[in-house]
Amino acid sequence: MNPILEVKDLSVVYESNGAVAVQAVDHVSFTLEAGEFVGLVGESGSGKSTLGFAMTRLQKPPARTNGGQINFRGKDIRELDEESLRQQRQGGFAMVLQSGMNALNPVRTIRNHFIDIFKAHGHVEKGRWDSRQVELIEKVGLTRETLARFPGELSGGMRQRVSIALALSLEPQLMVFDEPTTALDVLVQQAIMETIKSLQKSEGFTAVLISHDLGVVLESTQRVLVMHQGRIVEDAPSRDVLENPQDDYTRMLLSHYADPRAEVVELPGFTHRTRPVADDAESAPGATRAARAAQREGRSADSAIVVDGVSKIYPPPRRGEQPVTAVDDVTFTLEPGQSLALVGASGSGKSTIAKLITGVEKPTSGAVTFGDLDVARLGRRQMRELHKNVQMIFQDPYSALNPLHTVEYTLTRPVVNFGGLRGKEARTRVLELLETVGLAPVEQFAAKLPHQLSGGQRQRVVIARALASNPQVLIADEPVSMLDVSLRAGVLALLEDLREQWGVSMLYITHDLLSARLVTDNIMVLNGGKVVERGKTAEVLQHPVDPYTIRLLDAVPNPARARDGVA
Amino acid sequence: MTSTQNIPSVKAEITKPPSKFAFFTRSAGTLWANWKSRLGLIILACFVFVAIFAPLLAPYSATQDGFERNADASAAHWFGTTAAGEDVLSQLIYGSQISVSVGFIAGILSTIVAIVIGLSWGYIKGFGADVINFIVNLFLVIPGLPLMIVIAAYLQNGGLVMIVAVIVITGWAWGARVLRAQTQTLRSRDFVTAARFSGEPAWRIVFKEILPNMTSIIAGGFFGAATSAILAEAGLEFLGLGDSSIVSWGTILYWAQNSNALLTGQWILLFAPGLCIALLALSLTLINFGVDAISNPRLREGKSR
Repeated sequence: MNPILEVKDLSVVYESNGAVAVQAVDHVSFTLEAGEFVGLVGESGSGKSTLGFAMTRLQKPPARTNGGQINFRGKDIRELDEESLRQQRQGGFAMVLQSGMNALNPVRTIRNHFIDIFKAHGHVEKGRWDSRQVELIEKVGLTRETLARFPGELSGGMRQRVSIALALSLEPQLMVFDEPTTALDVLVQQAIMETIKSLQKSEGFTAVLISHDLGVVLESTQRVLVMHQGRIVEDAPSRDVLENPQDDYTRMLLSHYADPRAEVVELPGFTHRTRPVADDAESAPGATRAARAAQREGRSADSAIVVDGVSKIYPPPRRGEQPVTAVDDVTFTLEPGQSLALVGASGSGKSTIAKLITGVEKPTSGAVTFGDLDVARLGRRQMRELHKNVQMIFQDPYSALNPLHTVEYTLTRPVVNFGGLRGKEARTRVLELLETVGLAPVEQFAAKLPHQLSGGQRQRVVIARALASNPQVLIADEPVSMLDVSLRAGVLALLEDLREQWGVSMLYITHDLLSARLVTDNIMVLNGGKVVERGKTAEVLQHPVDPYTIRLLDAVPNPARARDGVA
Repeated sequence: MTSTQNIPSVKAEITKPPSKFAFFTRSAGTLWANWKSRLGLIILACFVFVAIFAPLLAPYSATQDGFERNADASAAHWFGTTAAGEDVLSQLIYGSQISVSVGFIAGILSTIVAIVIGLSWGYIKGFGADVINFIVNLFLVIPGLPLMIVIAAYLQNGGLVMIVAVIVITGWAWGARVLRAQTQTLRSRDFVTAARFSGEPAWRIVFKEILPNMTSIIAGGFFGAATSAILAEAGLEFLGLGDSSIVSWGTILYWAQNSNALLTGQWILLFAPGLCIALLALSLTLINFGVDAISNPRLREGKSR
């Protein structure tokens, strides 16, 4: 037993002027053994990042530790003064931040970043600076040429690797990774986690991985701490957590993982999707849905969205570079009542397609039509007509609602603009919409401002707004990627129910294959703007053909696979 | 389907929509919490108080002459008298009315011009934006004071209205530029796109969705504009370009300069109005420190420990 860090009874409180103090970390105790790789898991607001910051003494006001001890190698770091804390950063503890890739100075080369650290701590002789830099940058899987580059010339994943290398240059005994891959693309995410795992083995530092994703943590760590509302509710080896979770909260988190490749995919709230795939492959459900869609009141015939040979080429970002082809000759039809998934890593052109369909961008070649509307050539009035029928659900519920307007105001606007309802009628309709998306008691929710709602509730308001004009088509752009795992299933189930009930067709844009499996019938996989694979969702995911689809599937975090890996 | 996940029960009980009024009380609280803006508010309140109750506070009328000329400070005339035999203290007190009201009126008007031009400029794209860009740049590159002097000389005998007009014409361009930049960042936010999807017309998006999110920047711009309006008003009056028959801090300086007050040893004639102008401008600048704290919550918190 060789404990490197002992946290005893630690509490951290947020105290802002005039606001109620919030106890973010509540009497937490745990011990880290030297050389261990430990995961710290929790949903947003659980206090996991706050704990990470407190462990490395990086917490800033209004956060304040108000009790307990943090013994690093037997010394309480809460009592260190600024200078000994600074010296401690070398050979002591380091932190890699979620936005670490934005922590680099844009006007200094990567080499200068290393030199700054060497100068500040003087732990590397001047003659060895060059060789040490090369050594470090190669450790994180980058070439030595990277040293001469500026941060702006590197991709997000490369920058995150650089910030890991910078943290490594201090030869820390303890590294805390705070959501190191959350802001990155799925495929990059996986590659960086591999790097972190192998570094931890070869360098032998103690590592703490903070993440909201239990799947990612279980795949890489030896021991897991689960945090919930400021307390550690589970502290057990990863294997035990997976096979025999003790706490209800951990069990709930685990229940939200499944393998999209499995024959039967089951999540809480998705019981009706558990029937065997054979039935699903029949065209019958789609047909009844279309029939139901056609029966909807007040609409003579529903129109399909036809995307025909569409390309979108953006002008070169800098002079002398190649123009960027975001979408390359994509053709598909979204039939009434159908639900189609558009999957791909970031930069695959899936969001550009959404913009082209909604008339936000115009295609370079090809045509997008909705009924008899040519989306690229719309006047103001026709644009209104398009938006009445094609509505969008945004990715980030935190920025899709105006923070200063109540839910009622936000929902009243489309009701007034498209429905032509006024006064009392409009209000009745707004309350109906809230009821539809399951925000009850409706009167109370109508009066709330966005900051009084949780992420899942906000996303429901966004969905309600999209439904307000009684649209035929919903474009859902990663509607659950910003939500906690436990809220995702609820929102997805809502989308699925609405689609069935209202007969709306849906274009579901995502990188998350599990959710695509749950809510869509058909799937299209995009890579570099091109469609590389398409077909029935269940079939494509169970028997992928294109190597890119297989890579995407492999990148889905899956605790079950972790078990197989350990076994 | 359950719908009420994750709401702490305390929050669910708050059913009353927070009124606009609550926003103002909160802002006022933030202003008061910052010692700089608290000092500014106190100074400003003093000046506004003096301006409102000038007839009660002033020992004499501002234009009442006939006292001993160029008198030094005495019990009857705390700050002495002018070359025309008027009481300096009374003039100062009445003068605050002009400075405070011109400062606020010109500040409000140029802020309004800045809002209308800045927001539409930030929202529209293409040729229209280029035209506005050209006009605003024109106003930005012309040196302010000479332009003011030229316009003031051209619109002679216009009195206070003319001065306000001159200040507004020369003072809106910076505000418009700042607001345009902020509008451009806000217009790419999802909630603005969402409003477009809700069928909102452009003017509603600009004034109902974007504008309310810039309140603190607009407040900051207003206090800045009011500060420069007060300084410009005093400057123009001092140069004799306004109506020299009204009593304001600028005209006190103008007449003091004309009667060589410094040579006769009556430094207080220059010093007192000068100090008042500086203090009023300072109070508004101090308040702006607090406005910064409203727009940037990071500044609100205490120091690191």
